[in-house]
Amino acid sequence: MTKIRNSLAIVACKLLILAGRLMGKKGSSAPGSIAMKISPGVLRSLASQIKGDIIAVCGTNGKTTTNNMIDSLFSSAGKTVICNNYGANMLPGVACAFISRASITGKLNADCAALECDEASLRHIVKHVTPTKIVVTNLFRDQMDRYGEIESTAALLNEAFEKVPEAMLILNADDPLCAQFGKGRNAVYYGVSEDTGLHGEEAKDGRFCPKCGGELEYEYHHYSQLGKYKCIGCGFERPNPNYSATRVDISDGLKFVLSYKGSQHKLELNYRGFYNIYNIIASFAVYETAGGTIEEAKKVFDDYKPQLGRMETYKVGGKNVILNLAKNPAGFNQAIETVCADKKAKDILIVINDKPSDSTDISWMWDVEFEKLKSANLGRLVVSGLRKYDLGLRFKLCGFEGVVIEDISREALEGIISGNGEVCYILANYTALFETQKILKTMEDK
Amino acid sequence: MEITIAHLYPELLNLYGDKGNIATLKWRMEQRGINVTVKEYALEDEIDFDGTDILFIGGGSEKAVRMAANRLCEIKKKFEAYADNDGVVLAVCEGFHLIGTYYKLNGEKIKCAGIIDIFAEYTPDRLIGDVLLQSSAIGSTVVGFENHCGRVEIGCYKPLGKVLYGYGNTDSAQYEGVVHQNIVGTHLHGPLLPKNPKLADYIISRALKKKYGSVTLSEIDDTLELQAHKYMADRYKNCVRKKNDDDI
Repeated sequence: MTKIRNSLAIVACKLLILAGRLMGKKGSSAPGSIAMKISPGVLRSLASQIKGDIIAVCGTNGKTTTNNMIDSLFSSAGKTVICNNYGANMLPGVACAFISRASITGKLNADCAALECDEASLRHIVKHVTPTKIVVTNLFRDQMDRYGEIESTAALLNEAFEKVPEAMLILNADDPLCAQFGKGRNAVYYGVSEDTGLHGEEAKDGRFCPKCGGELEYEYHHYSQLGKYKCIGCGFERPNPNYSATRVDISDGLKFVLSYKGSQHKLELNYRGFYNIYNIIASFAVYETAGGTIEEAKKVFDDYKPQLGRMETYKVGGKNVILNLAKNPAGFNQAIETVCADKKAKDILIVINDKPSDSTDISWMWDVEFEKLKSANLGRLVVSGLRKYDLGLRFKLCGFEGVVIEDISREALEGIISGNGEVCYILANYTALFETQKILKTMEDK
Repeated sequence: MEITIAHLYPELLNLYGDKGNIATLKWRMEQRGINVTVKEYALEDEIDFDGTDILFIGGGSEKAVRMAANRLCEIKKKFEAYADNDGVVLAVCEGFHLIGTYYKLNGEKIKCAGIIDIFAEYTPDRLIGDVLLQSSAIGSTVVGFENHCGRVEIGCYKPLGKVLYGYGNTDSAQYEGVVHQNIVGTHLHGPLLPKNPKLADYIISRALKKKYGSVTLSEIDDTLELQAHKYMADRYKNCVRKKNDDDI
């Protein structure tokens, strides 16, 4: 009976995915929801057929990139990987990823799974799928309207970890909010182990000790609450990372030395953004703990193509247009740092929407260090999206003049791309990114 | 003319872009030739109430609220005296809870500043979303965003406004915030002041009136502020609140 229900669920889900594709959708969560209604046990049955590691990746920023890197690492090693790489990261999305690769008789032939999991959904997902490894990239303010406070997010994650006590946690040592999960658990840490001199002063949510509430003292500080910290009150401190980056240089691509198990390896990669160091070493930690080597990983990192809208470059009229997703203060501040590190004359478009899959609360934009753009060699600055007036006010009140406020459209994009800058940067939050990208694709040089 | 804004505990209470409120007050006064000083106070600092014209306290996490509440109890007498003497207070989100007498959390009563006889009580159901108010106190609509577990009983005090869309002080009160003497308390952030220029000017006038007697504020260019306000007001003026969808 269960088998028949599972088959029914799988067939229904596959048909819905197909129907969705015919209508031009990239696969969403609806088919997964329906499958789980038809047969609540379908996901458990499929997940139990995975032969090797099941890796869950959560955290506010970087989970899509990290998860896709993990997928690439294992796939290049010849493994069959189940991966929800369309960013559908709640329970139905995860169900969809498994079902789309299963036979209609309910058989799944796969070596491992790399699952991006929403922080609030992980506790639901682990009821069906038992991860062997869980990565937590960082915890920043994001979607506060959904999670309430950052501490509630941490509590939701803890609830999930309690349900899978066997899982190895792979944690960002530099983030006190992540590192706190490791105590008494099977944990491996990664981090950037030097003062890089890239200080930023912003969103300080995690600056207090997650254990006792005391103030954290920093020996050095990367961005947000990330750095080498110690609590004055209870002594909680940054654990020594098992995978550590030093000698970081972000002026042209990414260069750093990766140290682990007493060995050191120089990496020179064509990526933008300091934060990508975390994504790279987190995914490597997952791979290495599964027996992978740095030589194999280097090749994969060299070939890795950034996901849509992660500092993704488009050529329009011969000019580089760089599109980047930024959806919270930490993400935006990192993007702004990357924009400022590029010394070329530039025009910038910032697009913020407040649809339900963004954050409906846009107050976070006041915690972004937009002021820094004053030293970014800026030509035109255009703000757009549903909350364009709020963005306009944000810039007005910190003294920017001549900011253009307009709706996103092909004309608007043409206007900004034809500006005097050598390069054009577009920073957009979630749904704004997709809208912008859709138009950009029609404008790309052939 | 000179106005000093005291920003209480920004290190701790900084959840919802509160610096936008300070930036708005500063901008609107400086446009009118008023010198503005912003003093940020850390928890252990001694607050110079005599030298304060506008006191701002914002929102923070539960842990931060406990720490701030403890400190406010220690300075309760001075803070009360400031408020009783018509000192201007703007208290947003958890700051709104902190100016009341206590915050009740799972049976425990966390004592707060108590500069006004209101109290808050924790309910696990968070009230989240955009809010539209009609405020007779300032003669305008007010737009903002609420995100709070605390429900506030304001007794016989006047609210900041009637809820046209959203929740407000409690699930069923249909009123939001409190206005008493020169105290304004509200859950609304967004931040609150950038797109509510009338409310910002209300607070500024109160501070100037107290310090310099009667003052009329000159007109400044509010085109963008009013566009931002209208965009949100129009979005919700004919809407009925739906209960939050549960996440899965």
